[in-house]
Amino acid sequence: MATLYITEQGAIVRRVDERIIVEHEKEVLADIPIIKVDQVVLFGRVGLTTPVIETLLEQGIEVCFLNQWGRFLGRLQPVQGKNCLVRADQFRAAFDAGQATYLARQFVLGKLKNMLNMLMRARREGVSLPEEPFLEINQAIKALPRAENVDGVRGLEGAGSAAYFRVFGNLLKKEFQFYGRVRRPPTDPVNSLLSFAYTLLAKDIASAVNTVGLDPYTGFLHKDRYGRVSLALDIAEEFRPLVADAVVLSVINRGMVVQDDFEQELGGAVKLKDDARKRFLAAYEQKKQSEIRHPYFKYRATYRRCMELQARLLAKYLQGEVDKYLPLVTK
Amino acid sequence: MFVVIAYDIEDDKRRNKVFKTLKNFGQWMQFSVFECNITKEQFFRLSRSLEKLIEPEHDSIRYYFLCETCVKKVIRVGGVRVRDESMFIV
Repeated sequence: MATLYITEQGAIVRRVDERIIVEHEKEVLADIPIIKVDQVVLFGRVGLTTPVIETLLEQGIEVCFLNQWGRFLGRLQPVQGKNCLVRADQFRAAFDAGQATYLARQFVLGKLKNMLNMLMRARREGVSLPEEPFLEINQAIKALPRAENVDGVRGLEGAGSAAYFRVFGNLLKKEFQFYGRVRRPPTDPVNSLLSFAYTLLAKDIASAVNTVGLDPYTGFLHKDRYGRVSLALDIAEEFRPLVADAVVLSVINRGMVVQDDFEQELGGAVKLKDDARKRFLAAYEQKKQSEIRHPYFKYRATYRRCMELQARLLAKYLQGEVDKYLPLVTK
Repeated sequence: MFVVIAYDIEDDKRRNKVFKTLKNFGQWMQFSVFECNITKEQFFRLSRSLEKLIEPEHDSIRYYFLCETCVKKVIRVGGVRVRDESMFIV
């Protein structure tokens, strides 16, 4: 099953029989059977007719709205998972300081280990990297079990990530510069790609979380904030280095995106031009559908499937069926 | 499962209905030939609705099932390009 991304400004999405038709000024851009789609992502000014919305919701297909620049605005969610018991357990855990701290720790553990593995792999492949970030990330990992509350976990996450991003630029093989993470808005191409990739990741995990019946808005590591998919962002932590950072590195290092593909907005924000954005989306989708051998379940699964597996594992932990939540860590 | 569906239908109106139904499940490759990469349930849904549309005395439909290795051996020369169903970016 595939994601349908619509970036064409002014496009109209209609339903004909059981197919989705994307039109722009009377010209048909796509004609796709609905059975082939499991998620629709719209960028900016794209119109949906009521019949298509109705059919999508009926078929359990969610629709994500991003603005033209790729900022996440919200989602149209099909009937929520009926498993209200799992949501009740989730809320209880969110208010239980001990459990919230444990989960926050696990998410950050996954993220930091994956960051560390990524740097180690780069070093094996011949990238020269200083020793400090390895020590600092390791230190943060070692200190995690001693973090007493969620704030402590966040501090260690910040320290570890800062060390990682200080040398992330060394992994770039092309002329791109990267000195550290800049957000809201990202002011250089690499940060712009990272932000975009994280948005895409968050929307995919929010949909996985929803499939399982958990509430994407109630998180553990991320504080609840109106309209923020905190739980999705929590689970996204372990996937950031694995999926998002990896895609950004590969499109740059393979020359799929070059300096000319970016333009500067008023206010200093840097964004991808339209055709490059399509290439980036394709690379992201490909990554999502690439298979890995799941370290705990021992069978091959796509990253997309792994996102759902992690959400299921979390649900099982919250319901007391398993006593641990293990983040996805790959070598 | 991967099914190649070929049909021969006398009446224009009935043929049109069959064509429209098949478009909801697969890709039109040649006159009267569709390729559908669908699940078992989807196949049953499709074949049931086709059965309702046709008149067996006049029309015929053939389903050819290809196994995974056979699909890889398909050779296509010219004609419609196969739709990439792993992602849709417009």
